[in-house]
Amino acid sequence: MSSAPAPVELDRPDIAEDVASDRPWLAIVWNDPINLMSYVTYVFQAVFGYPKAKAEKLMMDVHHKGRAVVASGTREEMERDVEVLHSYGLWATVKRDD
Amino acid sequence: MKVRKGREGAVRIRFEPEEAALVRTLTEQLLDLLGDPPGADDELAAVGITDRASAPDDPVLARLFPDAYRDDGEAAGEFRRYTEMGLRDGKREAAGIVLATLADAFGGGLPGGGRAEGRSGGRGRSGEVELTTEQAQAWLRSLNDVRLALGTRLDISEEWYEEAERLDPSDPRMPMYAAYDWLTMLQESLVRAVW
Repeated sequence: MSSAPAPVELDRPDIAEDVASDRPWLAIVWNDPINLMSYVTYVFQAVFGYPKAKAEKLMMDVHHKGRAVVASGTREEMERDVEVLHSYGLWATVKRDD
Repeated sequence: MKVRKGREGAVRIRFEPEEAALVRTLTEQLLDLLGDPPGADDELAAVGITDRASAPDDPVLARLFPDAYRDDGEAAGEFRRYTEMGLRDGKREAAGIVLATLADAFGGGLPGGGRAEGRSGGRGRSGEVELTTEQAQAWLRSLNDVRLALGTRLDISEEWYEEAERLDPSDPRMPMYAAYDWLTMLQESLVRAVW
């Protein structure tokens, strides 16, 4: 039978880093008074390939709640998405999910 | 102005010459604002990196190239260094497509001066811009950039229409509001044609 290992102080910061890097990052789009509702819906479909119903719901969330999470994934993926959203003129930011 | 869907994703926009001249002038102003591409001797620029890490002072440029991180200035700066040049290139390219396709439709016959002023300088006829799907998408992005620029200069709010209606007709902002309103209609029509 094995016994419980002796409590040893292990210096393993790599585990903490791995856990942290697994936490998803978010791409957030913020409401603004200039972008058209139709255009924003179109962009969500064009950039993410979302079906129209999902793109419209996200657009309405942006419009009514002031912002919406439009994608999640690794930090690199979210930065790439935000860059593309900026190319369309949407006001988008990256954030770590908390 | 009239937007029609063509075959195989093509889009046609019929403009009066004054309308085409307005799009051209505003697009040229956008290009001026975006500035020239970096010189060939800029080594960082050659690999798509800028040394600028803070948001532009001009509110229009700050809106066209917003911070990608709200609470992390360092991350926002890094993102900007690696993306802003490519984004500027993309916006310049889209604006260039607008100007080129306008020129195809109108030649030099547009009123109102500008870089492409033609022979007569008088009033031309209406013309039709013919766009492939890709060109129409570039028009959408560029028109949106122009609206972002105008709207930011006008400090547009959700209630801008009511505010504009209360303006005195002689208010110097009136032509900008009118242009913004017209561009909004054009973009709305174009979204529906491209979708």
